[in-house]
Amino acid sequence: MSAIVNPATGKPLPTITDLTRPFWTAAREGRLVLQKCQRCATFNFHPKPWCIECGSRDLQWTDAKPFGTIYATTISRSVAMNFPGWQAELPVLLCLIDLDDGARMYGQVTHCKPEALHIGMRVKAYFEAISDDAGIPKFRPLQDA
Amino acid sequence: MRSEVAIVGFGRTPYSRARPGDPVLTVDEYIAWAADLALQKAGMSKNDFDGQGLGVAHAEAAHTVNWSAAVAENLGISPTVLLRADQGGASASAMLIRAAAMIQSGIVDRVLVVGADTPLHIPSAAPGLPLSPERTRGVYWDFQGPFGVMGASAQFALVLSRYMHEHKVTPEQLGKIAVNARYHAGLHEGAIYRTPFTLQDYLDSRVLTDPIRLLDCVPIVNGGLAYVVTSAKTARTLTDRPVYLRGFGEANNYYRGSRSLPDITYTGFTQAAPQALQMAGVTQRDIQFLQPYDDYPFIAMMTIEDHGFCKKGEGGRFVEEHDLHFDGDFPMSTDGGQLSGGQPGGAIGGFMPLIESVTQLRGEAGARQVRDARIGISCGFGGIPYGRPGRSCISLVLSTEP
Repeated sequence: MSAIVNPATGKPLPTITDLTRPFWTAAREGRLVLQKCQRCATFNFHPKPWCIECGSRDLQWTDAKPFGTIYATTISRSVAMNFPGWQAELPVLLCLIDLDDGARMYGQVTHCKPEALHIGMRVKAYFEAISDDAGIPKFRPLQDA
Repeated sequence: MRSEVAIVGFGRTPYSRARPGDPVLTVDEYIAWAADLALQKAGMSKNDFDGQGLGVAHAEAAHTVNWSAAVAENLGISPTVLLRADQGGASASAMLIRAAAMIQSGIVDRVLVVGADTPLHIPSAAPGLPLSPERTRGVYWDFQGPFGVMGASAQFALVLSRYMHEHKVTPEQLGKIAVNARYHAGLHEGAIYRTPFTLQDYLDSRVLTDPIRLLDCVPIVNGGLAYVVTSAKTARTLTDRPVYLRGFGEANNYYRGSRSLPDITYTGFTQAAPQALQMAGVTQRDIQFLQPYDDYPFIAMMTIEDHGFCKKGEGGRFVEEHDLHFDGDFPMSTDGGQLSGGQPGGAIGGFMPLIESVTQLRGEAGARQVRDARIGISCGFGGIPYGRPGRSCISLVLSTEP
């Protein structure tokens, strides 16, 4: 199986499974949800079959605060895997973002000049539909949100 | 503890950049070619491995189910034990450890370990660059590709940016590692890029994804490598230059800190390296060369730190203050590494540090020979977990003495 590409955007799409569907559906509706462990309260991301801290399979999709702090940054200046849709967005500001609820995720930061991007920057999630079935969170600097 | 296993043969095929007109070999052909070289070096034949062990590293180019058994079929070998590693750039090292355990417990006497890949001929969703179907499968991809992660360089650039935030390293220090690899490539006929470049060339090279530059990246090649490991007793009947596995350490899925919010500026070598040194009964001061898994210069630098050659955060300064040439005070990547030697797929590049270490310890490194080499460290480093560096970290201490 090769990567699924949205022909309209030229960008990759996820394969949606029952495990991951709640995330994609919520993001399509403009909400951030994460799996919360009902035993130890850890938020797991990306979706896991059990809690990677305590091993409990009792994970429930839970609303998470759409705020975070940038943990690491890169500014991608060329398309590395030839999904042509990224070309129009270069440079892509890609970050690792520590969400306020305690999970870390890859996220694209927009509405920010490359030279202003920095570790420690506070960001707020917004949501972009990437297909009829799925959305993803993207982030913008909090002061502009 | 005296080592009971030794490497007695190794092979590395010429690499190909798959330019128009170059012969196009399959993974099976590269495996046979590398195995042929290793068997010739060992003075053995394929029939010596009937009833023994065969180890096969994962290849990303499309292959059949039961891959290790299929390789045995293609080579006409009927082993009692099949090893199969899917630990990316740690696969070659992992199979050496597994083979050693099998040999020490008497299950087999010898194992032929092979690996090859043709990443420049992987049918790809993204024409023009290697991206195997298995890299776009599963939650790992689903929560990266659509989010804007465009490949390994972006993933590692994020790690490096955090490192630079918490510690100190300059582009000049990282550039020295790349320049050093190219210098050694000039002394190794098998390296794919051999024309020296300067630190200024490195600094002037295009930024692909900050802070990773073009000359931070490995050139992808097609190729194959292999080695033969056997009991010390058998080894001494085959060669007067066996290379013994003196110590090993391995860390898989290493986290520093919590699993949710780990500190990504440390690698699993912080666990694996002390284990390997302790088993070998040596310290950092005894080590005469380091062959890191240099998929990026800063990974080589973190490997130095996490092996305890200096404190965390001082790797850049360590690189600056030491001579990394084969005849310097800290010989590193003496074959040109993957940075200038070429990476025959992310799963196979891990054979290179091991085979260069054996070459050095046998005194067969020619113009790049480390003088009187008796003991060195070889590293495996494989896989890219979500938001962290290196799924598998393996440190090996190899020596001319058991």
